[in-house]
Amino acid sequence: MITVSGLTKQYGGRTVVDDVSFTLEPGTVTGFLGPNGAGKTTTMRMVAGLVPATSGSALVNGRPYAALPNPGAVMGTLLDAAAVHPGRTGRTHLRLIADALGVPADRVDEVLDLVDLTSAGHRRIKGYSLGMRQRLGIAAALLADPPVLMFDEPANGLDPEGIRWMRSLLRDHAARGGTVLLSSHLLGEVEHTVDRLLVIGGGRIVADGPVASLLGTDGVSVRAADPGALAGALTAAGFSVTHGADGALVVSGASPAEVGAVAAAGGHPLTDLRPLQRGLEDVFFSLTAA
Amino acid sequence: MTAAVLSPPRPVVARRSSASLPAQVGLEVRKSLSTRSGVALVAAAALLAPAAMSVAVASADGPLSSPTGPVVVTGMLSVLVLLALGVLSTAGEWTHGSVQTTYLLEPRRSRVLVAKALAVAAVGAAVAAVAAALATGVLALFGPAVPFGGIGTALLVVAIAGAAFALIGAGVGAALGNTPGALTGVYLVNLGVLPLLQTFQPALADKIDPGNAVLSLAQGHQQAQSITVLVVWVSVALVAGAAMTRRRAVQ
Repeated sequence: MITVSGLTKQYGGRTVVDDVSFTLEPGTVTGFLGPNGAGKTTTMRMVAGLVPATSGSALVNGRPYAALPNPGAVMGTLLDAAAVHPGRTGRTHLRLIADALGVPADRVDEVLDLVDLTSAGHRRIKGYSLGMRQRLGIAAALLADPPVLMFDEPANGLDPEGIRWMRSLLRDHAARGGTVLLSSHLLGEVEHTVDRLLVIGGGRIVADGPVASLLGTDGVSVRAADPGALAGALTAAGFSVTHGADGALVVSGASPAEVGAVAAAGGHPLTDLRPLQRGLEDVFFSLTAA
Repeated sequence: MTAAVLSPPRPVVARRSSASLPAQVGLEVRKSLSTRSGVALVAAAALLAPAAMSVAVASADGPLSSPTGPVVVTGMLSVLVLLALGVLSTAGEWTHGSVQTTYLLEPRRSRVLVAKALAVAAVGAAVAAVAAALATGVLALFGPAVPFGGIGTALLVVAIAGAAFALIGAGVGAALGNTPGALTGVYLVNLGVLPLLQTFQPALADKIDPGNAVLSLAQGHQQAQSITVLVVWVSVALVAGAAMTRRRAVQ
């Protein structure tokens, strides 16, 4: 569980994270979405104690990260896949972390196999591709099988198979009662992975809720045997109606039930009636445009 | 990727608390020696003193009254290399970013610095002692006849110098958080500023030069002052390192 309250970070007079608050419950995957420079990474670094907060607090399982007895065993963190010594081998890198965490050495082989780096484990990290470094970082985060995972842009550099694998990994972790915070700028990736979205823009949380509720609806598309007559009835009922390019009528701000009721009352036969759903990309840009 | 193995085959039991300080020191020693640069530095430090002694022996043209001078002077060449070992142990992590992993595993930054300091001090002392011992061996085998009565003191002083210089490097590295800057700084001071000071203000240089302090300590001169000079250098470097590290953001 991660609890963030009023987290704020200022550099000089510039506020990069502004009064951010959220609580992440076990059993959920939460997407942390925002454009570059919105404050995602700084927020995550404050949660992990790497960047001191100007004000506010961040708790992991009820304690500040730095106060956890063995923090790496409570929260597995991947913030920057490049933040490794390039001269070490992948296996040595993981063995050092395993020893620091106090997990058995053979767990290193398990996580190397899990991320498909067994054959590359003896190679120096400077020879790894970005995707391999990303998988090494995920392996390191999973070493102690921690209840909380926090990944910053983990899909960077992964191929489509790797992205699908990571999606399964995170969903499975949540299904086992884990808490997952995942930042991404890949909107489609977030949409298919998370239960909940936190959208950050300009350092502030601008939306927080389940994906479906954030997508919401933006009116109704309706086709009728006599579009002109139906348009007149809807306008008379107080709705705003426009003619779509494909011949359908677009009724802004209305629900399918309302449009259906008007059509039934006027005796207008309908051939199609569906809600208009905004794409996640539209939602994202409308929320973070400021 | 093993999609089916999403949960571990058996529960992973991690330690309930952070690693003990001795365990962290051991980890830091392994970190220093787990890269080619670390191994190369240790090897260079261990071999430089005997190599220099070989040159000195080959060019010697008279008997020696004591081995202390040659052993300590050649040992100091190795000790100067150990400055870099200390710098890399701290500044190196900031430079290539692995300090992030270090602090995610042990967020108590002062404790990390203590572990690093103990690790580089141990490695520095051991490597310097080995280097001095090898240099002594070269002197004994190929040098002029010399009484080896005070050699134990010389080896001990070189070992102390190895620990002290590695600690100075670690402190400066932690303070600057930048490998090129820290290496330039420590070598500029030790090989540039202090020799210049020795030329123009010898009295002042004698009071503050850690290299002179090591030589004086080995010769049994002004021992209290020599120890004080080394302690002040190590303390200032480590305190500066701790202060600068304490709240530096890990980006």
